[in-house]
Amino acid sequence: MAEKKTSRKTVKMEGPTIDSVPIVYRHKIPIGRVVKYFDGLREGRIYATRCKNCGTVYYPPQIDCPYCGSSDVEWIELPREGVLETFTKVYARPQGYEDFEPYIVAIARVGDVRVMGWLMNVKDERCVRVGDEVVLGTTYIDKHNKYIITMQLKNKQC
Amino acid sequence: MRRVGIVGVGMSAFGVRNDVAIQELAWEAVKETLADAGLTQRDIEISVVGSAGTRTYELYPAVPINEYSGFSEKGPIRVEAACATGSASLTVAYNMVASGFVDIAMAIGVEKMNEVDTPTSLAVGGRGGNYLWEYHFYGTTFPAYYALYATAHMAMYGTTEEQLALVRVKNQKYAAKNPKAQFQFEVTVDEVLKSRPIAWPLKLYDCSAITDGAAAVVIASEDAIKKLKVDTPVWIEAIGYASDTANITRRENYVGLKATRLAAQMAYKKAGIEPKDVEVAEVHDCFTIAEIMAYEDLGFVEKGLGGKFIEEGQSDIGGKVAVNLSGGLLGKGHPLGATGLAMIYELTKQLREERERDRQAPLKRYIGLAHNIGGTGHYGYVTILRR
Repeated sequence: MAEKKTSRKTVKMEGPTIDSVPIVYRHKIPIGRVVKYFDGLREGRIYATRCKNCGTVYYPPQIDCPYCGSSDVEWIELPREGVLETFTKVYARPQGYEDFEPYIVAIARVGDVRVMGWLMNVKDERCVRVGDEVVLGTTYIDKHNKYIITMQLKNKQC
Repeated sequence: MRRVGIVGVGMSAFGVRNDVAIQELAWEAVKETLADAGLTQRDIEISVVGSAGTRTYELYPAVPINEYSGFSEKGPIRVEAACATGSASLTVAYNMVASGFVDIAMAIGVEKMNEVDTPTSLAVGGRGGNYLWEYHFYGTTFPAYYALYATAHMAMYGTTEEQLALVRVKNQKYAAKNPKAQFQFEVTVDEVLKSRPIAWPLKLYDCSAITDGAAAVVIASEDAIKKLKVDTPVWIEAIGYASDTANITRRENYVGLKATRLAAQMAYKKAGIEPKDVEVAEVHDCFTIAEIMAYEDLGFVEKGLGGKFIEEGQSDIGGKVAVNLSGGLLGKGHPLGATGLAMIYELTKQLREERERDRQAPLKRYIGLAHNIGGTGHYGYVTILRR
């Protein structure tokens, strides 16, 4: 690959190093206020919240409405179909995702909100188009013990 | 508010700097800045240390940096605003001088990013939005976030991968002439297009690298500048700032950064100038698409025509505005905390006309602009300088 040519001048200064005493973070993430969202994913449903006082819809869901100050929200289920607004295929994977095959992160317009998910069953990302219709669902990811939102192209195969 | 000017700038060599610890790296910039200003530590009343600090073993870097630089009594203030940390630290220092809290202040920006491996760096960068709702579920990396913008921009305006590549080609042309840049060589469009995919449609050469580096700036009040007899102060005419939603799914669209537009409007208004008055600019090209969107969102060209702007050479010397003559983040490297101040470093040198002939912008009005983004448009800073 071109980037491996050694004749090219780069600033790369090495020197002796030692290893730090390792530190491992394992955070406990509070989900008590939004547990219905997580339950929904397990049931194949995607929930947003709507402020009962002013009608503002929140996705991702939140139970405090900063616009009117109310914390009285109702949970509403989102439609299962949407339209792709944008997407990317992640080849350089981060720590925690190294064991996954390259994956497609997509954002779809679903009703009044936008939803992020993984676009599945696509062999060639170059054939996917902004504006393509998608069907939404949820999928269990064993490696992380979590449910995520997944999308499939509705009327085409790529 | 008092008028504030830049009296000294300094910068380390950017790149992989496994030869130094964070405080040693910061000192390289601080030492050069003091020499450039003709001042000593005694003259500096307060230091503001900008470091995102997410990839170094030194989790509270400001105090070790201050001690190592001989400022141990100058009360550092630590600032963090992701990739816009450098501009945020300048903003804090600026307000201290403008308000009369102090007469002379130093902003120091530094980042050590190569102390951890690349997957760790991607995992840290991917947390630059809202961890729980995005990274946790979908492994959104930082290149992936900008790739989402690239895909949408290409779909809506017909921007091409070749046009993106031209940004890298231009910036490498100048990085090749910058002895402090991480990558001091030129590339071709073909090499950019053939580099390996990172987050499609962005390829390796569409992305800035993982960089270590430091930059610093000394600023002073107009009275202090008169007393110090500085011959070529560069004035901070305006700082505009803005921000946008943490969740990328809550953005208005994916073809531009609202934080840039709002920060630019504020800065232009405060400085009493228009986009066409800007002669030299350092813009936040963390990815090639970011520079294309910056042309549009800063008002150098109409929305959607950024690809055409680079194709016509309008962002090069001889065009409408000379952009990223330092090599930009793509060529020079992007050590988060240092980047915003490295932009000020470059523009100060440009406005003083101290650059080598083939990378000095031709100047009539002596107006420069620095555009520094944190996250994927999560923070936006636009700073206008004038000599």
